[in-house]
Amino acid sequence: MAGLGRAIRYLGRYKRAVLLAYASLLVSTGAMLMVPQLVQNIIDSVTNGLIASRLSAVPTAFLPQALELLGWTAEKFARYQDGAESALLWAGGLIVVFAAIRGAFAFSQNYMSEKLSQSAAFDFRNELYARIQRLSFSYHDKTQTGQLMIRATDDVEKVRLFIGQGLLMAAQALVMLTATLIILTFTNPRLMLVILPVLPLALVMFMVFGAIAQPLFTRVQVKLSALNTVLQENLAGIKVVKAFVREPEQQARFERSADDLMGQQITVARLFSFLFPLVFLIANLGQAAVYYFGGQQIIQGTLTFGEWQKFSLYLVYVFFPLGMLGMIITQMSQAAASAKRVFEILDTQSEVRDKPGAQPLGNLEGRVAFEKVTFRYFGGGEPVLADVDFDIQPGQTVALLGATGSGKSTIINLIPRFYDPSAGRVLVDGQDVRDIQLDSLRSQIGIVLQDTTLFSGTIRDNIAFGRPDASLEDVVEAAKAAAAHDFILSFPEGYDTKVGERGTTVSGGQKQRIAIARALLMDPRILILDDSTSSVDVVTEAAIQKALQRLMQGRTSFVIAQRISTVRTADLVLVLDRGRIAARGTHDQLMDESPIYAEIYSSQLLEDAPGEASLEGAAEAVPLAGVR
Amino acid sequence: MGGPRRMMEQETSKPKQTGVTLARLAQYFRPYTLALIVVAILIIASTWTQVTAPQLIGQSVDCYLMPAAAERLTAGAPASMSFLQGGGSAGASTNCTYTTVNPTVTAEENIAGLGGLILRVLGLYIGGALVSGLMFYMMTWAGQRVLRSLRVEVFRHLHRLSLTYYAENEAGSVMSRITNDTETIAQAISFTLVNVLSGALLLVWIVIKMVQLSLPYALLSMVVLPAMLVATFWFSAQARKAFRQTRLEIGRVNADLQESISGVREVQAFGREEANIESFRESNAANRDANIRAVSFTAALAPTLEALGYVAIAIVTAAGGLALLRGTDLFGTVMSLGLMVTFLAYVQRFNQPIQQISVMWANIQSAIAGAERIFGLLDTQPDVVDRPDAVAMPTIQGRVVFDRVGASYRPGIPVLHDVSFEVQPGQTTAIVGPTGAGKTTIINLIPRFYDVAEGSVRIDGKDVRDVTRATLRKQIGIVLQDTFLFSDTVINNIRFGRPEASDDEVRQAAELAHADEFIRRLPQGYDTVLGEHGAGLSQGQRQLVAIARAALANPRILILDEATSSVDTRTERQIQKALDLLLKGRTSFVIAHRLSTIRNADQVLVMRDGQIVERGKHDELLVRKGAYYELYMSQFRAEETVEVAGNGHKPGGVPALAAG
Repeated sequence: MAGLGRAIRYLGRYKRAVLLAYASLLVSTGAMLMVPQLVQNIIDSVTNGLIASRLSAVPTAFLPQALELLGWTAEKFARYQDGAESALLWAGGLIVVFAAIRGAFAFSQNYMSEKLSQSAAFDFRNELYARIQRLSFSYHDKTQTGQLMIRATDDVEKVRLFIGQGLLMAAQALVMLTATLIILTFTNPRLMLVILPVLPLALVMFMVFGAIAQPLFTRVQVKLSALNTVLQENLAGIKVVKAFVREPEQQARFERSADDLMGQQITVARLFSFLFPLVFLIANLGQAAVYYFGGQQIIQGTLTFGEWQKFSLYLVYVFFPLGMLGMIITQMSQAAASAKRVFEILDTQSEVRDKPGAQPLGNLEGRVAFEKVTFRYFGGGEPVLADVDFDIQPGQTVALLGATGSGKSTIINLIPRFYDPSAGRVLVDGQDVRDIQLDSLRSQIGIVLQDTTLFSGTIRDNIAFGRPDASLEDVVEAAKAAAAHDFILSFPEGYDTKVGERGTTVSGGQKQRIAIARALLMDPRILILDDSTSSVDVVTEAAIQKALQRLMQGRTSFVIAQRISTVRTADLVLVLDRGRIAARGTHDQLMDESPIYAEIYSSQLLEDAPGEASLEGAAEAVPLAGVR
Repeated sequence: MGGPRRMMEQETSKPKQTGVTLARLAQYFRPYTLALIVVAILIIASTWTQVTAPQLIGQSVDCYLMPAAAERLTAGAPASMSFLQGGGSAGASTNCTYTTVNPTVTAEENIAGLGGLILRVLGLYIGGALVSGLMFYMMTWAGQRVLRSLRVEVFRHLHRLSLTYYAENEAGSVMSRITNDTETIAQAISFTLVNVLSGALLLVWIVIKMVQLSLPYALLSMVVLPAMLVATFWFSAQARKAFRQTRLEIGRVNADLQESISGVREVQAFGREEANIESFRESNAANRDANIRAVSFTAALAPTLEALGYVAIAIVTAAGGLALLRGTDLFGTVMSLGLMVTFLAYVQRFNQPIQQISVMWANIQSAIAGAERIFGLLDTQPDVVDRPDAVAMPTIQGRVVFDRVGASYRPGIPVLHDVSFEVQPGQTTAIVGPTGAGKTTIINLIPRFYDVAEGSVRIDGKDVRDVTRATLRKQIGIVLQDTFLFSDTVINNIRFGRPEASDDEVRQAAELAHADEFIRRLPQGYDTVLGEHGAGLSQGQRQLVAIARAALANPRILILDEATSSVDTRTERQIQKALDLLLKGRTSFVIAHRLSTIRNADQVLVMRDGQIVERGKHDELLVRKGAYYELYMSQFRAEETVEVAGNGHKPGGVPALAAG
């Protein structure tokens, strides 16, 4: 609930809209409440007028006696006699006027409430987005994209609906309910007492309704998504299903899901077909009570026809807000839960932030050193890196070797300070990366990973991702160096071809080359890359390798090595084993000294072990290819 | 309140052949004809209760309340005032049809009479509640059953369709079309239809009732009706248009979010946070504004209808009241207070059905359009079907022959041309060539995923078109590059290859695939449930599971699309070993990306532009210095360096495998 209060305070930024919304609410509700009163006036002036006209036939001598019988004064009689028609017309005219007022202000109330809620949602989303963009890798490691999406969409929507519309409706319901009850009590307390017991009953019904309906709908959603999963898997995996001739089993599986969903839907229907009419019935029972007990009073002369009709009309204004309140109460608990989740993200502090006195990094030379660096994910458990030490001179190439989980990617993530080490220091040009402004550090480091995300936008936008102000010449230059220029030109719109969602599909190899161009354009002093190539044809693979070699020239480079060629040309090879540097040195040194290196090296060899015969030819082929 | 808005927010579309589609949809309802007849009767009954109750209330005024009020006036008056009695309730008594008004009844008798009448009203209310509950339930009951059979039929049809269909239609869009369309149909047949029908019936019935009671009074009461209709249709049309824009905008916001959350590492690496935040602000603001604009229409609709309703109330009471006061009739109708009360209740019931019909009409149209698309899908004929005289494929020896095969996915655009080759049982064939050369097409023709356009594919001398697909495919194993796993347990994913396999057999297959070790290390071992698309396993591990799956199926012919994406060295080696074991003794076709595979193959087919440009063994082809040589040079240049260097370490182990 605290979260909800905090969410409501966001409305404070839109004071004028809040004021307008609530003022409109009061006016429109007031206008609406006037109508039954005016209907009463009409009916009463009709009945009174009728009686008065009859009385006018009474001989003057008997008139006082007759008036006394009715409890009328002489003025009243005169008014009823002459003024009935004009009173009626007045009331009729006023109804039209109030109808117009009601219409206008109800519109303004609805409009303002939407404006308010959308504005608040706008703020929430902006803040969430900004927070998500700035949170460090360690946060994103433990959070899934889908979860964050739900926060920014569903949760924001629930909070929005409550603080924008729910609150206003609750206020309207309360105003309407109290005003109506007061009016009814003053009109006829006895009749009021008759309908009073129905009220709590109705409120409870509405709340039960809300409480039961929500989980049922959730269950329907679960069954529906189970069904859709079967459908989705069979569409995506149609080839596998057909290849293994598993159609009958999958059909049975789908039918089970379809039956489940149908059963759940019918369960919901059963409950609703009981609850819905019951709710209406309760409201109708109130009406019937008014008809009967009110009618009784008319016969006894303690209630006028007008009041009787008014009661019946006002009764709608009693049940309607009760229904609304019931709905809003269930909505509130959900909104509170959503608000809590939204603020959870907004309150998360990024672990990696600029220190108060952080200095911008000057032009980097490219010296990188790790001093006894230890790293644990989420601050606990086994260290992913333990006591890692190395010192790399500007321009050197470092090959990182090791099994999955040996700590290769952690090392490369520590250099641009995506994480902070748990112990030890990471130094760039002799400065601790924690003392440097993040932007100035990262803008001088280029990264090419195997799994590249392209963003929606043109190819040019994607290459200029790190330097949006780059000229087209620069972009083309980078693309050429990355062996991407030719395939980019083969697209109908060249560099302006849209990629990403709803855009042209770009193959894995093309993506990788765009990523290389992107890094080249940054002209970084330090380069981090993964030298593997994802599914590309053979010609492309060679082109990518060449582009990567060009990229690494003259820069300090850290390469997660998948290729022996990389290892052989590296200035330093770091062999990692369970977070420790197990061996270091050049390829030749390591071949002689390190059994672990030899093991990794030979295991990679094994998969490509050639037949003896073809080896000779291949060996000759290498220099040839180099010349070309 | 949220109801109409939610409905207007939905995508709407217009059907092309309403009649045909409805008739076909009606076929599905045939088994539930009885239920539907009952629903129709219930609709009429429920509407009848809603129309009758206000009339009874009016009668209570005219038959009991008015006479009683008049009686009270006269009863208390002295005899000298007997003149009050005469025409006292002249106007009122004429409209009482419920009972004969006896001017001498006592107040108690009147109250008792009123009580009886209200009891009837109460009975109507309770009956109405029962009827509408039953109606809703029966409609959902029948509707959900229809929906289920429709869903199942669509699903089965999806299996029947051949891969040509999936080559032309993206799985994602087929998926969203089916789910959206069934959802709109579901909505329409569960409650929208009933609501619209009973709403329309109520409206018509009220109009008829009013006209019966008094034509002029009815016309007066309905003065606002056209305005209501116009307002409703105009506002909903505008709102729908505006909501179309909001769907676009929220789509942009979500795409923006999705992209920058999943790409957050790159965003931070390239320092794009601030620029992104700024651009998100723009799409976010556009979404806000579109929503506010759209809602301004829905926000206007309800108040407009309400205000018009009040105007109707004013007209009914003022006109009726004037006639009563003047003692005149209203254009020939004798006015009474009771009649006024009845009409007052009727005009209040205008609003709801009008709003319902206008909002739901478009949804019914969308549902029909959705049904049209679903039927369109059901009418799509699969290209590949068993011949009527197809026989079961006997146990395959493994001799595969392509005889002058031509193939095309779309008429006129050949992907294979004049491809002929022959493979002996147990041989391994490597297929190499650039992307789009037709490698995948060749392997798709063997299990008859597609049919050839020319020539024939024969296995053990039998044309694949002459045997049933099920018996053919059961003997062919496939390991695809993009491994597809189901969100099910690991054991069930492996067992997918042969559902009747015992746990031990599954384990053996996993051992053969070198998958046993890592599976045991999973949280629940073989019973670990994999996430969507096998999430939770690395790419390499997924490949190993797929290999185990194929191994369990123990096929006679094996088709393998070698994965090119890199996995770590250890896994890579395991995959290689597992594949070597799997290939042994089976006729295999491999789309090869690894040099070792090509070297070990009995035959290499070099593809280019849908044709075989070279064939032979690796060594022969290399010597020939043709297309293969070029391909080899560009592809394996980097690998060769490695091989030379590593030559001394483990020689001789592999050629033995190649013999298998």
